[in-house]
Amino acid sequence: MAKQGHGDLAVQEQRLAYGLLAPTFVVLLAIAIYPLFSVFYNSFTNNVFASATPTETVGFENYRRLLSLTIQVVPPKLDEAGQPVVDAETGEVKYESAVSILPREPLRFRPVNQFTLWGTRYVLGATDPAFVLAVWDTMVFGVSTVFLELVLGIVVALLVNTNFKGRGVMRALILIPWAIPTAVSSQMWAYMLQPNRTGFFNTLFWHLGVGNGEIPFLSDPAWQLPSMILIDVWKTTPFMALLLLAGLQLIPEDIYEAADVDGAGPVRKFFQLTLPLLRGTIAVALVFRTLDALRVFDLFQIVLGQARYSMASFTYYELIQNRQMGYSSASSVVIFVVLSIFAVAYMRGLGVKSDEH
Amino acid sequence: MSTKIKQRLNRVLLWGLIVVMAFWMLFPFYWAVNSSFKSEGMLAMTPTTFVPRDPDTGALFLYLRNYEAVFTNQSFLRAIGNSLIVAASTTLLSLAIGSFAGFALGKLRYRGKTATLYIILAMTMFPAIAVLTGLYAIITELKIPPLLSMIFTYMLFTLPFTAWVLTAFFRELPTEIFQSAQVDGASPLQTFYLILLPLTAPAMVTTGLLAFIGAWNEYLFALTFTSIAPDARTLPVIIANFPSQFSRQIPFGEIMAGGVVSSIPLVLLVFIFQRRIVAGLTAGAVKG
Repeated sequence: MAKQGHGDLAVQEQRLAYGLLAPTFVVLLAIAIYPLFSVFYNSFTNNVFASATPTETVGFENYRRLLSLTIQVVPPKLDEAGQPVVDAETGEVKYESAVSILPREPLRFRPVNQFTLWGTRYVLGATDPAFVLAVWDTMVFGVSTVFLELVLGIVVALLVNTNFKGRGVMRALILIPWAIPTAVSSQMWAYMLQPNRTGFFNTLFWHLGVGNGEIPFLSDPAWQLPSMILIDVWKTTPFMALLLLAGLQLIPEDIYEAADVDGAGPVRKFFQLTLPLLRGTIAVALVFRTLDALRVFDLFQIVLGQARYSMASFTYYELIQNRQMGYSSASSVVIFVVLSIFAVAYMRGLGVKSDEH
Repeated sequence: MSTKIKQRLNRVLLWGLIVVMAFWMLFPFYWAVNSSFKSEGMLAMTPTTFVPRDPDTGALFLYLRNYEAVFTNQSFLRAIGNSLIVAASTTLLSLAIGSFAGFALGKLRYRGKTATLYIILAMTMFPAIAVLTGLYAIITELKIPPLLSMIFTYMLFTLPFTAWVLTAFFRELPTEIFQSAQVDGASPLQTFYLILLPLTAPAMVTTGLLAFIGAWNEYLFALTFTSIAPDARTLPVIIANFPSQFSRQIPFGEIMAGGVVSSIPLVLLVFIFQRRIVAGLTAGAVKG
């Protein structure tokens, strides 16, 4: 088509570019796009890995099993006179068992949680409580870690941005939690969180007079998520801090000098100058870290195993333990969708344009 | 006078915060080192001790058998080899393939450039868990050996990242070099090999380091693809599911020793290449 000399050159250059990009795209096609489509396809089948039963398409069956939720009223137990039964010791009303209330056909619902609202007792039922809890726990974990990391990350970034002797060493030191393999740090922390005074935290709390020295940090459901959050905050704050530090270094020094002339204090300078100028960096860091936190796997699988799932470890166990190729594919798709929604919402909400910077 | 006191107070506050921060960052690793030098009896002491101590006398005592056990543990030694092979191969492959893409994205003119840039950027955020089942199906179907599967699939996160960071570095190279080489009769590919590639060597080191660390630490794929191939397990998988030499309680002393051994190469890399690592990490994210 192009007949001019420089046109030929341009065509040549374009051909070269496509040739150079081809290997990258072939690799990504093979290890990302094709598997993604196969996961999507498999999520509509009852494929069980290495089983004799033939695979059939089952429509949205897997998704219904994963995602079906129901809320039912739990009526109080009634005595012969039709009056609610009250526990003689606690004075609380006794309720019917939740399992008997929840629907059994066509899919069997199991109780996830019970709660009381305006004097009425409700039960939240799900066809797969493990998955619903995994999604909920992952959300709580993700939001809490990212928030705490952001706060601590700003503190760390501000600290290593100030001038002091040994700042270089300090910047290397804060990389250590990031560099240590998660498998190693999970084991390290699991050992520190032992449920007796052989563990560091129980010894520390016992010395401080908190608890009896036998707090079951990893087996008590109330302590499990806080422990996970603590470990992850330790591990990922450095990354957050480094991103924020890079942003801090982009802020020109003279802005602060002008503020000094105006007599602004450090707190005011932080909230009126630093924070607004860091907004773009914070937004990008939040996107990266939230996406990372929501797909947490190593930490949950190593420390909690099957005691409590993250979305990713749920998927892993469905695949490897239960060989449910179809079902775990469906949960993969759900994770993919949730992550995409988060990514898009974040970018929209924080006004990040992808061509910023 | 009063400003001097205020300055001094600020200094004290600053150093206080620095000490707290350093303590918080380092303490868990210190605790792992501390525990790795304790025998089973010393680990079982309550309350626990902040340095390894003899249970009877309370004197400082370093128990070295955990390290001995780790370095005579066949699965651990094999895991070091596996981790090295997988991480090094993935890194080299990603650098080779990614530098082509980085050159095209950063220096060449062609139609559809914006789209390809966006695809690469989106791929840097791609969740591995979403394709786990798909990859597992392909790998078992084609009977790809576990080490090879890890080398290829790790490119899911190393390749887009490498390409993205190298693009930024290529873009910053002056176009004149490229043009004058072309005037001298060099083909674009020759220019790439002979002139641009040597210039990007520092960028290669940076991205290579990060790819290596990422691959060295990877756990999800390694665990899944070696579920029936214990000989191919990498360090994280071995550390997480430590095979005890004897059947007894969880061998925490050995796990800590193994963990310290597998972290030391990374800690050294961090101290030697601190600036490069920070530059690479932030180039990958902030420039997005």
